[in-house]
Amino acid sequence: MPGPKSKLPAILSLVAALLGLLFASNSTLDYAKHLDRRLHDVHCSFIPGAPATSEAEACRVAMYSPYSAFFKERYWGGIPISLFALGAFAFYAAFAVYLLVYGSRAPKRALRFFGVVSVAPLVVSLIMFTISVTRLGTVCKTCVGIYISSILLAVAGVMALLSSAEEAQDEPRAVVGPALPLIWLVALGATALMPALVYASSVPDERPYLTKCGELKVPKIKNDEFVKVTTSRPIQPTLLFEDPLCPTCKAFHERMVAENIIEKLDIDLALFPLDNECNWMLDQALHPGACIVSKAVLCGGVQARAVLEWAYEEQEYLARAGKQGPNVLRAAIKQRWGDVMLKCVDDRKTETRLNNHLHYASDNNIPVSTPQMYLGTRRVCDEDTDLGLRFTLGQLAPEVLK
Amino acid sequence: MTQPFNPPPVAASKVPAAGLAGLASGAVFVLGSLLAVRLWVSGAAERLTTPEAEKPKVAVADQSEVGYCTPQFKQVLERVLHSCGLGGETRRGCQPADVKTFASISDEDFNALFTPLKDRGAVVMFDEGEDKLDEQAKKLLEDKWFARRGARYFFVVARASKTGNQAKNRALSHRRANSVMFHLNEVASDPEIESKVGLLWLGNEFAQLSKDYCSWPNSRGDLKCDEEAINRSAFVSWVDCRL
Repeated sequence: MPGPKSKLPAILSLVAALLGLLFASNSTLDYAKHLDRRLHDVHCSFIPGAPATSEAEACRVAMYSPYSAFFKERYWGGIPISLFALGAFAFYAAFAVYLLVYGSRAPKRALRFFGVVSVAPLVVSLIMFTISVTRLGTVCKTCVGIYISSILLAVAGVMALLSSAEEAQDEPRAVVGPALPLIWLVALGATALMPALVYASSVPDERPYLTKCGELKVPKIKNDEFVKVTTSRPIQPTLLFEDPLCPTCKAFHERMVAENIIEKLDIDLALFPLDNECNWMLDQALHPGACIVSKAVLCGGVQARAVLEWAYEEQEYLARAGKQGPNVLRAAIKQRWGDVMLKCVDDRKTETRLNNHLHYASDNNIPVSTPQMYLGTRRVCDEDTDLGLRFTLGQLAPEVLK
Repeated sequence: MTQPFNPPPVAASKVPAAGLAGLASGAVFVLGSLLAVRLWVSGAAERLTTPEAEKPKVAVADQSEVGYCTPQFKQVLERVLHSCGLGGETRRGCQPADVKTFASISDEDFNALFTPLKDRGAVVMFDEGEDKLDEQAKKLLEDKWFARRGARYFFVVARASKTGNQAKNRALSHRRANSVMFHLNEVASDPEIESKVGLLWLGNEFAQLSKDYCSWPNSRGDLKCDEEAINRSAFVSWVDCRL
């Protein structure tokens, strides 16, 4: 336990706050960069200051999740939660400097105030960590950086709190007025809010760009049918191009479920496996085995949604099986869905159906990527299916959000 | 009575210093954060309104297009599909005279156009003077039809043998092309089949096959193949060309 003259609590607070400031800055920067609707690498490292990288799936999942920002229907992408961390850590850093300069004479009220409020980031971090683990199934490294900063800050706060009870005989503690902690609390609230206010006041108007990603030339599939994804309250005609072994499709599907959007969509699904075993538009398979799993979805009939969601849930296993060969994948399908399903998967008619779906994609000259969403015949831009999903739906299909 | 405590003069000077340091650093951290946020957002807003200099190319879904789709090949394909009445109008296919008119190439050159299709297509063979598909022919035809992948057009080039008179061979060749078409209609259940299949029927006056074509995949691989037999046939193949 450091004595009353120890500067450790203040130094630790300063380090923790600066670390938190850095990680929150990285996270906010990633968010803000995407406002230009382009593709960007994302910061995703425990190392403070590490450059952004394209290998940042967990951080993307966190960024695109409904928990990463507030007011997503009002602002494109919403107001990122990291902005509040940015403001709060700025306050904590300044307060740490204040305590550091005071040294052993730091007022009891200041130490106690700091001890109490320094736990706030830890509480928020615990909530966000729980959400990450239970809802997203992944933990982003940048977020972990903020969690670690919060823990350090809380530890420093507790140390400060404990040291407030002690006093050096030669250097008695200064006394501050009882109103000051209230003023500090207001200052903490204000600094936490300020970055969000600046962000909200300067975000660009994305509305003119929402309808500029094209339309379907051929609305109906020739000589075949889409896969119907059953939902409970279908009101908005929607066409999705998906690959059951595509991680982005899985994330998109989970986002639609988490955002409570999917049940209001009247979904037709066109299968677009990114596997050159059936898809001639690729030189090599991005997702080996996706053709077979797509056939299973086609064979699902009224259970198509269940088959699709099974493929998403078991995606890692199925992707591994796909790399081992078609028979491993067939065995997995048979084990879960039985012989009848497997026979259907191997049926020539199913192959023709899948080919019809792929030709539908080529008839419409859609981009070779998944997932793709069409509201009616209008294509929703890729960036509007991730960060801007709620905003875009609010503009193009507001009834879905009601 | 206790003596009042007098703080040392050095310590007293820390009071305003700490407050000032806190305020100053607070101003730096907060204003720095606000400025950064403002710059990041306005930078994105500026990029949003500025077109990308090097926009990443996005592949677009389309029918397949492979190396053999030369302009000359496409010309033949297009004429067969469009000029010969396919593609939505009544199917009539192309007769040898039509081929000679639109192809304007020699027999060898005409056949050479199809050489790259050796692995994609197959030769469905018929009995002498017959136009009926046997079981092996039907199976081969179905195998080829269902291996469509990204192709838009299915080519059928029927032939009759070199023996016999021109009119008889032309009629036989026509019937063989129709046999193929009828069977495809049966198995494909595709209402748009007419716009996909291009039919050519050649008599003995144009583009007869040499014995070399016996090495191509055919429906009678186990039987003897010669120049006579290989021309009692219909060559079938999906064509991976865009028009």
